[in-house]
Amino acid sequence: MKKKIMVLIFYMIAVISLTGCFDANELDELGISLILGFDVVEDKLLITAEVVDPQYSSSSSDTGEGSTVKYVQGIGNTVFEAFRDITLKFDRRIYAAHNKVLIFGEELARSGLITHIDQLFRDREQRESAFMLIAKGARAYEVMGVNSGLETVPANYILDLIKNINNNPKSIDTNIISYMQHYYHEGHHPIVGVIEKKRKNVIDKTSEDKGSEEYELSIIGSAIFRKDKLIGYLNGNDTKAVNYLLNNIENGIITFPIFNSSEEKVQSEGLPTNVSSVNVIKGKTKNDIEINGDKVILKTKINIRAALGELIAKTDVSNEEDIRRLEDACSKTVEVNIESAVKKVQQEYGTDIFGFGMAFHHKYPKQWEKIKENWDEIFKDAEFQIEVKTSIIRTGLINKPTI
Amino acid sequence: MIYKNIRDNKEYLIESFNYSSDFVVVEFESLFKISLMACYIEGFIDRDLFDRDIYRSLVFNLKKSDDIKYFILTSKVNEICTLEEAIDEILHGRLVLFAEGLKKAYSVDLSKWDKRQVEQPQSEAVVRGPKEGFIEDIAVNKVLLRRKLRNSNLIFEDLQLGKQTRTTISIAYIKGIANQEVLKELKGRISRINADAILESGYIEEFIEDAPGSILATVTETEKPDIVAAKLLEGRIAIFTDGTPHVLTVPRILVEGIMSSEDYYVRPYFGSFLRLIRILALFMSIYLPGVFVALILYHQEMIPTVLLISAAGGREGVPLPITIEVILMIITLELTKESSLRLPKNIGTTVNIVGALVLGQAAVEAGLISAVTVILVSLTALSEFIVPQLTQGIIVYRLVVTLLGGFFGIYGVTCAFLVITMHVISLESFGIPFAWPLAPRDRSGLKDTFIRVHIKKLIYRPKVIARQNVRRQRPPKGD
Repeated sequence: MKKKIMVLIFYMIAVISLTGCFDANELDELGISLILGFDVVEDKLLITAEVVDPQYSSSSSDTGEGSTVKYVQGIGNTVFEAFRDITLKFDRRIYAAHNKVLIFGEELARSGLITHIDQLFRDREQRESAFMLIAKGARAYEVMGVNSGLETVPANYILDLIKNINNNPKSIDTNIISYMQHYYHEGHHPIVGVIEKKRKNVIDKTSEDKGSEEYELSIIGSAIFRKDKLIGYLNGNDTKAVNYLLNNIENGIITFPIFNSSEEKVQSEGLPTNVSSVNVIKGKTKNDIEINGDKVILKTKINIRAALGELIAKTDVSNEEDIRRLEDACSKTVEVNIESAVKKVQQEYGTDIFGFGMAFHHKYPKQWEKIKENWDEIFKDAEFQIEVKTSIIRTGLINKPTI
Repeated sequence: MIYKNIRDNKEYLIESFNYSSDFVVVEFESLFKISLMACYIEGFIDRDLFDRDIYRSLVFNLKKSDDIKYFILTSKVNEICTLEEAIDEILHGRLVLFAEGLKKAYSVDLSKWDKRQVEQPQSEAVVRGPKEGFIEDIAVNKVLLRRKLRNSNLIFEDLQLGKQTRTTISIAYIKGIANQEVLKELKGRISRINADAILESGYIEEFIEDAPGSILATVTETEKPDIVAAKLLEGRIAIFTDGTPHVLTVPRILVEGIMSSEDYYVRPYFGSFLRLIRILALFMSIYLPGVFVALILYHQEMIPTVLLISAAGGREGVPLPITIEVILMIITLELTKESSLRLPKNIGTTVNIVGALVLGQAAVEAGLISAVTVILVSLTALSEFIVPQLTQGIIVYRLVVTLLGGFFGIYGVTCAFLVITMHVISLESFGIPFAWPLAPRDRSGLKDTFIRVHIKKLIYRPKVIARQNVRRQRPPKGD
């Protein structure tokens, strides 16, 4: 009996000490990476990781001194190899589960991303919800060190920029899982946000080190892909149009000219008059496809609910007719903007980044099977029809404009 | 039997008490030459009463031994016929009178000894509600309960337990409400107690409980008469033990641990809120350190980034692994608790300061312990005191959960949770399922479990306990 108990105790100790903790990681053995940058350098893959130095959070007494992050780089033929390359240069294991942004250098993006993404999905630490950004005209590590925000960690600065897309949809927040969804669907090419390092005006003359304040980051615009290869960029306004068509609009402003029949048009010099800006409260888009003979018509219906934000025209918004006119002018502007964006994409790139192919697939699944291989050709020549309806539901605190 | 000759009786008694110094024999004679003898234990009786009502009366008046009972001027007199009985009476604080030539003796209850005042029990203080608590004297305790239940159906059944201690215990219940099966079972179990000594009700608890090996007690203990009254009114049975203010009630169910008498004295919303807070506290005090350790060690991806970074910042430079660190802190907490309890009050404050400073600040500043751990363990300690009835179980479970969390992550914590839950559900107290009304589920019981509904709507006593006379009151009109 005693022997039995001893054996049992031995087994219990063995069970606990041998199987437990095999994947335990003490926090002071981990390097928490918040941003990963991917570049191709001399036919090798270069990974740059921004690793948080957690000590900055514990020593609250002296702030501002020293950097909050460290940058480490690894080179290899594959992503995995490059990650392992870091281990012999950096004391902590790169822990990627909190990695929220992946930045790809332009050169890498042009040569194709898909071969490098496998590891990001296969590894259990990587997040599928990580946002993707393309470093426009630069290497990924060149934009990573810039922090001109108030966040102490540069990664949070970038992450907050991405979150601000909700307020200003001139960029797009594509995460890696939606990138893959679009990659696999013939009817929807991926579109990814960009990030750019820009020189900024140094206004603060009191600060000693102007070096770090010289640059700021901007994520205005987007990068168009054909499958996994970067083929070009869209500017901010066109990206906004894309967001409208992808039903991504939750907020953001629309500025539009008001053409009064009797009064003069927009001035050609100086700041414009007779314009107004509204803030979108809710936008709803419905994409549709119509087949007319052998012609494909792309149709879009957009409903916008907006609040008046600024009015530089002699219009009285207590008057319902004037509001109608504002609404019509707003719809018109949106229509024109989106049409020009679609036309530009059709003519310059010929890739369906708007997801009309998906609408086609949903509506005509049988035809889709036949034409999906050359959907891009069809998309290129398709006619585009748009109908926008705006309703201004709030007019702000004053009725009459100050003008 | 009792000898006619006083001397024989005296010798026998002194012999029986082994010449113990506190055994007093007073021999005296009445004016009419009748020899008398009074035996008692020093300090057990009221000497003034003895002198006034017995000694003086007998000395002046007793002419014939047979008339002795007419001159004992108190009402609490018993005739006894054997010397063994006499010894027993003396041991229970009564005075025994012998008269020359009489084959019987009289025991007179003049008992009086020093008792603690009735005061608020420290472990069960309330803001609203009666502040009185039981004391060590069983007679006073019975009165305290009787004053809550002025009901002729409230029955006390006395018996004596313990070969050496001869402790009086008393089973109290309300006839017509108490669960008869439980009562029968309880009496059976008590009659089977063959203990040497009963120094506290804890002894009885261990003899009568259903699961002696369990970490959780299946017998409730309280120091407050209003709580005992409420429990009797739910069909339970109380066991009073002489010499301790702690009264046991059976059967026990788990949710009694999160109940407080105050829940019923305050507004129902607030009472329900308190219940929910206590449930939160119960879970936190058992699982918080374990879940924390598991998350920090195995599931860092589940912690929000900012929190993870600040936790990592705190861990920076801490020499111990997190599991050891947390367990060390838990043990230190227990040390502080225990020492501040045992030490004299004025030194106890010092311990508190030392504990707070040493454990809290200095350890963190020295980098031995991370700040998050300190916060967490203090939170655990706070929660633990919110459910005092379950503290003993909580401490053991907490250590187990922390260890499992440290070795196996959330998987270990989940296993611990399952094992604890299964154990709780498997328990029974005197045939009543311990986890009632959760398992087996009883909707009417749930009215008074996580929340406390309006008293008007608490129409039924707990159905599983009170099998007869289940309805407390008529349902409110319109319902």
